[in-house]
This record gives sequence, C-alpha cells and structure tokens, in this order.
Amino acid sequence: MELVLPQFGLFFWSVILFLSIFLVLNKFAWPKIIQGIQEREKSIEHALQTAELARDEMKKLEASNSKLLEEARLERDQVIKEARAIGEKIVNEAKEKASLEVAHMTSTARMQIEAEKMAAITELKNEVGKLSISIAEKILRRELENPGEQEAVVGRLVNEMNLN
Amino acid sequence: MKYLKAGNIRLFWVTTFVYLFLIFNSLQFLQASDSHAAAQGGEIDVAGIMIHHVTDTHDWHFFDLPGEGHYEAISIDLPWLIYDNRTGLSVYPTTEDLLHSGKYILEHGKVAPISFEVTSINQLAHHVEEDFKNAGGKNIELDSLYWVNLFAREHYVLVQDHNPNIPPRLYKLDMESTVLDLSLTKTSLQMVLVGLAMILVFISVAGYYSRRKGQGPKGLQSFVEPVIVFIRDQIAIPHLGEKKYARFLPYLLTLFFFIWFSNLFGLTPLNSNIAGNISVTLALAILTFIITLFSASRSFWGHVFWFPGVPLPVKFLMMPVEIVGMFTKPFALTVRLFANIAAGHLMLLALIGLIFILGKGGQSVVGGLSISPLTLAFGLFIYCLEFLVAVVQAYVFTLLTAVFIGQAMADHSHDHAEDHSSTDHALAGGSHH
Repeated sequence: MELVLPQFGLFFWSVILFLSIFLVLNKFAWPKIIQGIQEREKSIEHALQTAELARDEMKKLEASNSKLLEEARLERDQVIKEARAIGEKIVNEAKEKASLEVAHMTSTARMQIEAEKMAAITELKNEVGKLSISIAEKILRRELENPGEQEAVVGRLVNEMNLN
Repeated sequence: MKYLKAGNIRLFWVTTFVYLFLIFNSLQFLQASDSHAAAQGGEIDVAGIMIHHVTDTHDWHFFDLPGEGHYEAISIDLPWLIYDNRTGLSVYPTTEDLLHSGKYILEHGKVAPISFEVTSINQLAHHVEEDFKNAGGKNIELDSLYWVNLFAREHYVLVQDHNPNIPPRLYKLDMESTVLDLSLTKTSLQMVLVGLAMILVFISVAGYYSRRKGQGPKGLQSFVEPVIVFIRDQIAIPHLGEKKYARFLPYLLTLFFFIWFSNLFGLTPLNSNIAGNISVTLALAILTFIITLFSASRSFWGHVFWFPGVPLPVKFLMMPVEIVGMFTKPFALTVRLFANIAAGHLMLLALIGLIFILGKGGQSVVGGLSISPLTLAFGLFIYCLEFLVAVVQAYVFTLLTAVFIGQAMADHSHDHAEDHSSTDHALAGGSHH
C-alpha cells in the first residue's frame, strides 16, 4: 500500500527539484542548444541551396560552352572550305597562266623559227642565185670562147625565148 | 586477445558489468534477508525486502558489514525536515534525533505526532475514558467496548523496535496537530544528483554550440543532439504545431531527459529508482496537467463544460464525463511511468529473491544453487530490457504530454467528430493529431 500512496514530502521535492532543473537548463542550456541546432540546419540548407545554384550555373555554362564550340567548329569548317577554294583557284590560275605563257612562248618560238627559216631560205636563194650566175658565167664563158658557138647559143636562146 | 574483435571485448565488459551488478544486488539482498531473518526468527520476508527496495527511505543504505552477531549497516542518515503546526519547521539530523525529541514516532516509516508516552495501564484507562467522553462518546459502561477499542486504536499507537529484546512502547497520538514530512529523502537526493548530472551535461553541450559555431557535432554533443532533434521533430512539432511548439520544447526536453536520466541512474549500483516512486511521477503529471490547463483554448473549455453539436440533455451528460476525462490523463501518466519502473525493479528483485526462497535463507545450498543459473539468465535479460524501458517510458511520457497540450490548444470548433477519435487514440498510446 505504501508503494502506491503518494507522500507529500517527496511530491514537494519532486516539484521543486524538477522546476529548478528546468529553470537552470531553460536559462543556460536549452536556448543555446536549440538555437545552435537551428543555425546549423539553416547554414546546411543554405549551403545546399548554393550548391544547387552553382550546379545550375555550371550547367548553363556548359551549354554555352558547347554552343561556342559548335560555332567554332562550323567556322573552322567554313575557313577550311574557303581556303581550299582559294587554293584551287590559285592553282588553276597558275596553270592557266602557265599554259598561256607556254602557248605564247611556243608561238614566239615558231615565229622566230619561221623568220630564221625565211632568212635562211632567202640567203640560200641568194647563194643559189649567185652560184647559178657564176655557173652560168662559167658556162657562158666556155661556150663563148669560139664565135661559132656563140652564135649557136644566142640563136638557141633566142629560139627558146620565142617559144616562151 | 588478438582473436577478439573490439566489439567482443566491449560485449565482455558489458556482460561483466551486468553480472557484477546482479551479484552486488544479490549480496545486498542476502544481507537484508539475513537481518530480516534474524528479526523474524528464520523466515525471509522476500516481498517485504522487495517493497523496501523500491520505496523511498530516510537513509541512503549502501551495504552491510558483518558486525558482532548482527550486520552493521553502512548508510548515510538523511536529515528530517518536519513542518509541525505546533512548532513550525524543524530539522533533525538523524532518525535518532527525531525519536529522542519526544514529539514524534515513526509508523511504517511515516512521522506521526505524539502527545506523550503511556507508562502505566491505569494512565491508559484514564486517558481513554477522558478522550472518549471529549470526542462525544457517552458512557463507557453503555457503549460497546468494541467502539472504545477502535477509538483507542486510532488514538494510541504501539511501537515495537526491530530488536525483539526491547519491550514495546505505547504512545498517545496528538490528533490536534498536523505534521508534514518535508525531508530530503533518498529519492529526493537521487533527483538532486540527476539534476546535477543533467546541468553538467547540457551546459557543457551548450558550450559546444557557442565554441564550435557552424561546425558538426562532436563528443557528447553528437550523442545528445539526435535525441533533441528527435523530440523536436517527432514529438513537439507534429503535436503542438510549427508555430507554437517552441514555447513548450524546453519543458518537453527537460521532462524527457529527466525521466531518462533518472531511470538510467536507477539501473546503476548503489542508486535507487526515482520514477518508481508514485510521488515523483505524480509531480511530473501534475506539472503537465497545469501546463495543459494554462495553454487550453476557449474551445477546449467549451468542449468540457458545454459539448457542442449534441442535444441539450446530452450536454449535461457529457459535462461530468469530460471533467473526469480531464483528470484521467494525468492519472494515466502517473500510473504508467510509476508502474513500469517499479515493476522492472521488482522483477529483478523477485528473480534474485527466488534464490533465497529456494535456498531457505542459506539452509539449503542445493536449492539456492539450482535456481541461480535461471536467475542470472533472466536477470540479465530483464536488466537489459530495463535499459530499453528507461528510454521508452521517457519517450511515452513526453509524447503524451505533447499530445495533451496539443489537444488542449487545438481550436476544434470545426472538426469535433475527427478530434474525439484522436483523443481516444492518444489515451491508448498516442497518435498523430
């Protein structure tokens, strides 16, 4: 029976002691602890949010980076293409010029050759003329050593002329 | 040793500690049973020893040492602080001083005021006749002797010393005076120790928060913090609401840790249980009750005195029901905690007591030895279980406190049907609001 009957003294001290523990802890411990926990939770939440933001930022940056890269690649392709075209054009032009030059040179050479040939022919003609005159002179001189023969020749020549 | 893992070594120490505690308890029991057996002629009053073990005392008894023919108690006598309407507040350093004052006797450990000691049978007869007449009795001759006998029993008390060689003494009780025993008893002193431990622990933990601002928890802080966060997030916020919980959180935290620490203290050798005293649990329940009443909303009082939404006759029917319901809550809190803690200690003592019952107080060694393995196995189990009960009961008391305050604060003018079902659940063991 004693077990289940409250005693006033113990009840009284329980209230006093519990309340004093409560008051001391409420003054010196709980506010600091509760506030400390809350502050840490807030700072963790804040850190998480910041991390999230940073990640978003990173994603955006990455996207713009790849866009830039793509653009650069396109531009490079363009540049290469243009360079190739220009190169081709230069080569073509050079070829054309060269062939023109060649043609020109050939034609000049031909003309020169022709001219030389003509000169040579003329010279040959002259030489042949001179030769033939001298030959003719010689022949004539020999033929004309006796007067009879001179007459025969002249007569033949005259004949021949007439025939012509 | 190298084959043992760290966990095994820890387990070894825990087991050793538990068994040492059980053996220590058994020794205390042995000594107590021995001195009791001496007083009662060989019979061991196991139930008496058990009850004595869990109830409050005015001395802090550690153990007994064998003396000449009897056991010498090694204990601290705690001072008596007594309020008496005849003399006011007075202090007696020891129980002996109290009894030598001639103003009080001890009746089953309770202080009773006395007028004088009756020294002869003639004096007794004279006083009984006088008192009986003064109290309204007409004539001893006419009135039944049975009533006089009853009357005498109420006004006179026979005190028998523990030592049967000292003759009993008869005292006349002082019926006029009222006496309040305000002594700082063993349990109160235990509470002082618990309080000091709590203040030490939590002020040092609070120091961690100001010294290590923004850093992770460390040491004692990392042990205590999850519990505090649990009480806040699982008990305070769900039942008291996001807006109002902060006002009650310090009380809930103090309550939880006070009960938990008390229970843990009670499980260590040389200390006694605290929450196994109904006066302590009653004090806690009444504090909760007062807080509940002061934070009650208008609609709570409306529900108590003028139940809404029912016909007029039912309103009158509901009023006493609701008023009784208001008081059953603290009553349930009181009894639940007290019964759980006291029962745990009694279980352990009963298991140890088995050895002494079967061993017939040392006469049958075989009987005592045969039950010992069972006692040790079950004792170990109950002792470990008590550590779980220690925290579970602290949790339940705190949870129900939060539930009751939350219900009283809630404005349930809109949803009474739903609200009352949750009241029933809370009484059955707590539910979410």
